[in-house]
Amino acid sequence: MLTGTLLFLLYLPLIPPLLFSVGLAEPGAQAITFAAYGQLWGNPVLVTAMGTTIEVAVIVGVAAPALGLLAALAVRELAIPRLVMLLVLLPLFIPGVSMGLASAFFFRELGIAPSLLTVAVVQIVWALPFATLVIMTVMSTFDPVLLEAAYVAGANRLRGFIDVELPLIRPGVIGAALFSLILSFNETIRTSLVQGPLNTVQTYIWSTYKQTGLSATIYALMTSLILLTLALIAGILVIGRSRRTT
Amino acid sequence: MARSFEIPRRRLLVAAAAAGGGLVSTVEPALSAGKTLNFADIGVGDPGGDWSPFTKPTGWKVNLIAIGNAPSAILNVMLAGGGTSTYDIINIVGGMQPPLVSNHLIDPIDPAEMPNWAKDIYISEYLAEGKPGFQFIGYRGQLYGVPTVLQGDAFAYLPEKTGPLDSYAALFDPKWRGYVALEDNYTTAGQKTALYLKSAGLADISDPANMSPAEIKAVVDFLIEQKKKGQFRVLWSSFEQAVDLIVRKEVYVIDCWEPMVFAAAAKGVNAVYADPKEGYLLWAMAAYLVKKRKASEAGTKASYALLNFMLGGWYGAKITLLRGYMTNPLAPIYAASHPDEFTTAEAKKIAEITANVKHKFDQGGTWQNRWPTHVDAYESEWQRFEAA
Amino acid sequence: MRRARAAARYGLLGLPVVFLLFFLVCPLLLTFAISFWRRTGFTFTPALTLHSYLAFFSGVRLLVFERSLLISAEATLISLLLAYPVAYFLALRAAPGTVRVCLSLFTVPFLINYIIRTFAWTYLLDRAGPINGMLRWLGLVHHPLSWLLYGDFAVFIGLISAYMPFMVFPLWLSLSGIDRRLIEASWVLGARPARTFFGVILPLSLPGVFAATIFGFVGCFGESAVPSILGGVGYQLMGNTITSAMDVLDYPLAAAMSSVVVFAMLALLTAWFLTFDLRDLLGKIVEWRH
Repeated sequence: MLTGTLLFLLYLPLIPPLLFSVGLAEPGAQAITFAAYGQLWGNPVLVTAMGTTIEVAVIVGVAAPALGLLAALAVRELAIPRLVMLLVLLPLFIPGVSMGLASAFFFRELGIAPSLLTVAVVQIVWALPFATLVIMTVMSTFDPVLLEAAYVAGANRLRGFIDVELPLIRPGVIGAALFSLILSFNETIRTSLVQGPLNTVQTYIWSTYKQTGLSATIYALMTSLILLTLALIAGILVIGRSRRTT
Repeated sequence: MARSFEIPRRRLLVAAAAAGGGLVSTVEPALSAGKTLNFADIGVGDPGGDWSPFTKPTGWKVNLIAIGNAPSAILNVMLAGGGTSTYDIINIVGGMQPPLVSNHLIDPIDPAEMPNWAKDIYISEYLAEGKPGFQFIGYRGQLYGVPTVLQGDAFAYLPEKTGPLDSYAALFDPKWRGYVALEDNYTTAGQKTALYLKSAGLADISDPANMSPAEIKAVVDFLIEQKKKGQFRVLWSSFEQAVDLIVRKEVYVIDCWEPMVFAAAAKGVNAVYADPKEGYLLWAMAAYLVKKRKASEAGTKASYALLNFMLGGWYGAKITLLRGYMTNPLAPIYAASHPDEFTTAEAKKIAEITANVKHKFDQGGTWQNRWPTHVDAYESEWQRFEAA
Repeated sequence: MRRARAAARYGLLGLPVVFLLFFLVCPLLLTFAISFWRRTGFTFTPALTLHSYLAFFSGVRLLVFERSLLISAEATLISLLLAYPVAYFLALRAAPGTVRVCLSLFTVPFLINYIIRTFAWTYLLDRAGPINGMLRWLGLVHHPLSWLLYGDFAVFIGLISAYMPFMVFPLWLSLSGIDRRLIEASWVLGARPARTFFGVILPLSLPGVFAATIFGFVGCFGESAVPSILGGVGYQLMGNTITSAMDVLDYPLAAAMSSVVVFAMLALLTAWFLTFDLRDLLGKIVEWRH
């Protein structure tokens, strides 16, 4: 079926990195070796980059859904829904290199030195439309009647939101957070233009790719991530299934 | 009853004060010595992550940060990215003085601060003022860069497919049509082509290292002609790509850097780095001192110590061994005389590499010019080549 | 007290707007301004000159712009034709468990750095690669096919495999939001499956189609890794040529090209807003304040 074929084609390019990480698929290849996986922690630049990536991802994974939630509410509550939507969707239309360049100019004119925050800001701008759209989708399934009931029971707007609406749209917020994390993790071009002395895993891979060649350790890192995520998905599925049967 | 509590408490306080004082006094020198130098490097200058031969005697740690080699990447980071406040030294391919100095990003260096400078005969032989290599480290009569690596580029080929080759003409030989790759870089591939065209008398070029717009146009016209005939398989733009092309035997003749041949050899593919009769494309890495807004004396002193260290035997030997480039004359001597740190095989390899590259410099060719006078023309002409 | 509360409320709700105005709109305006500045030596100074725009429109780079438009449009179209059936299947035919699994599976490849993913295609498509190997083993060809790599074919494969998964999501979102009763009503009224599809499902999913088109088109347009890794001898899209201009420090030119690209994309955005009422796009998502 089409879906199956497409998934197969999508996963095809994931196989070479797997092979490279264990030392196969090269003319001088010998037996399978897992040495590259052990060396992951021995590369200080890579380890620092991993740390930076995680730090930025956490900031983005918290700030983007938060802002997205506020934006979704703003569309609903404020008198300027079209303006809010326009602004929120705008980042989707700016190619990465343009956005990175623009942000670099901007920070330079303001004299803001590159830091974790400049990287985070650029990534939040990128992730915001996605986060907002996800939250809005979930909000659409929320029945405002419940809010009315809360108001009748005496709650004010804020309490109504926090006690009634928020718990029900929580899956959407979590989904937005996950989406933002994935986007942040993947981001290369915008980050490379505003990161200054920092490095994320992606920009590190980009620069080693250009100058010194990729090593088996990088392939090992990528493969580990894939396997970890697949295991996570499988785990969530199994738990979900068992919960349904009990 | 109260008295029995008092004395121990006072004693405790005194003991605590003494301990605290002692702690503070031991922590303080560690704090001031626990400073870090931020060393931005394109990936060539990393001696395997271990800077202890520098850190132990000086007490300064080295924090290696990866930067790209493209002029915009460097300037972006330095200007827009506030690199002047973050980096202490940047180690990139030299010849970048014009934009860096004009934008007030680097400081001139004083060779007197580095004892190893005088010991480096390569500098006096190839890079001193008046020598063609000066534009890699100097600008308007002043010295800015420390040449940490020296190298000569040519091209590589697969002897099993082509037999021995000794001229850049191989890149344009119709026999290898569709099996040739060039680097996507007008200062390397463009300049090598110019060197070839001048030697072969196919174009009137006075100096391949600094071409006029008309001359670069002639070079690009030639390249477009070749491209239309299908001569080139691909223009590569990364180390990984070039090695891959050799290893997968996707091309037989490739304009590339020598370390790629070493990398291919490590993967079991025998490629040969040619010895072309037209000569080599010579270049050097330069470590620059970043112009800091608030320079501290200790910081500058430490930076000079690091620059000196990079001109030293241990660092040179490590880099030669890891990357295959020539570094400084002290390197092979150090490797040979320290069997505890370098095996005999490694020391031999270092000596071989050094001799090999020295031979290239003696043979000559053309010095790569990273920032030609008419670099704009180079860029727009190269765009024309790519769009054709 | 109530005024303070109201102020706090507006402040909080307005936060995303302020954030975006500051970190998105201002940088873009600054870039637009810089595109009119003059290049002096190694830097640039404020001025008002059309030099950069003239250089862009009269030179070779305009060809790159045209090519970017063409390639992006084609790649987006093909991706759309592939993603739509997948989204249709997931939204209207598949069991909920399958849907979750499939959607997750579509996101996993994104965890691999897209350069490594793109680069892996060179390994798969080159003359000594497994695909050529299989074609020869099956006897379909006698010599390895050179055009599989370093040309249009490879660039399309690279672009499509990078952006198609992205496009499945908005399509799925929009298709799964269609009220089933409308589809059932169409059947009840006697329409054949094709009629139902073209008459009911497709129009209702158009907002999702448009969103997917945006994701794909904008993404492809600004691409630089795919053309440089898979393109061959000088295959250039806008991303490459902007970076090249930056490399010689011609920032005003880079800014000019960037601004032209942004304007082209904004034209798309305006078309979206004019064609579709927000309510159509977001379905039941937005409940308007009365």
